[in-house]
Amino acid sequence: MELQKSMRDFDAANIRVYALSYDEADALRDFRDAHGITYTLLSDPDSDAIRSFGILNTLIDPNDHPWYGIPYPGAVVVSAEGTITRKFFDNNLAVRAGPERLLWAALGEPVVEPLADQPAPLGVQVRVSLDGDHLAFTVQRDLVVRFDVPEGRHVYAAPAPQGSLAVDVTLDENDRLVQRPIVRPASEPHALAGTGESFQVHHGVFELRLPLAVNSFSRSAAPDITISGEVRWQCCDDEVCDPPASRRFELAVPVSGPPAHALRDSRAATLEPNAAAHFRRMSERRKDPG
Amino acid sequence: MRLELETRGTRTDKGWRDHDGFVGPRQPGTGPRSDPRGDFPTGPEVGAAMPDLRCLTADGPAFDLHAHRAGRPAVFIFFRSAVW
Repeated sequence: MELQKSMRDFDAANIRVYALSYDEADALRDFRDAHGITYTLLSDPDSDAIRSFGILNTLIDPNDHPWYGIPYPGAVVVSAEGTITRKFFDNNLAVRAGPERLLWAALGEPVVEPLADQPAPLGVQVRVSLDGDHLAFTVQRDLVVRFDVPEGRHVYAAPAPQGSLAVDVTLDENDRLVQRPIVRPASEPHALAGTGESFQVHHGVFELRLPLAVNSFSRSAAPDITISGEVRWQCCDDEVCDPPASRRFELAVPVSGPPAHALRDSRAATLEPNAAAHFRRMSERRKDPG
Repeated sequence: MRLELETRGTRTDKGWRDHDGFVGPRQPGTGPRSDPRGDFPTGPEVGAAMPDLRCLTADGPAFDLHAHRAGRPAVFIFFRSAVW
């Protein structure tokens, strides 16, 4: 459903979107009609396609109905020529790549460039923003920390030499948010002329990305979530280093409501009145596939 | 590839909190919450041809991915279920 909100962007870019599950075709029709889904839903009730792609979750016991038959969930991006150009899979069943990430992967990643007609920065400039305009339950979106380092200077990449500080971002404790490992850009080696000492640095304009999702069981009524934390770095040139620097940030971001679950929520059940029957049937047919 | 089941989790007053911090009703390592720890299969490698998967559309007819996308790029998602 979160994906549907971005379908205008996929359509405008002429990118087809398919979503396959082990549900029966009529269950998918009900889901599509209840939620106005316009991407193509595909039914693989015997998990043949999931198996042939090689991603059947074999950690689930074949007699554990109706769970057996699901894939390790994920997404693949296919080029116009039919080649797989990118894959998004996560160990955690609850995590899915945000629509922005999928769209960028299909279009080609945006290149991070200095802002036009902005004077060259005198010090390190840091800007913190979020991919997309809201957060949603279990849908992963990146907190983007953009650095602009003046020419002739660098900041330490991770791991920094002993006694120095690598560029980093940390979040304040917040049990409504789940964060995933930080994504750092490739760093460059930098050798000091005097000593020949070499370490890894970042130059110019670059981004750190911290993937975030809202915890699905965090049923807070607050419509916004505050993402707060601290960015740290240490900037140097070939001669001297500034002391370690830091900056606090605080973003208030709207959270879309938790997905109403037709098996547990009477309002959602009104929208999908057959959900309980679909669930019963999917359990029973797997016990007796005959 | 040797698959290992992720079972780490702690019980909280809101449900089971998994290794990553997600809280849910099921204990990690059981039922649909049978996540892999470490490496797990993700299908053909990047650079390989996308296979022509055989399945049905929601309306019933057999589906042919490459015929349907007709030379357009695509995002193909494998998800758990639209029912639960």
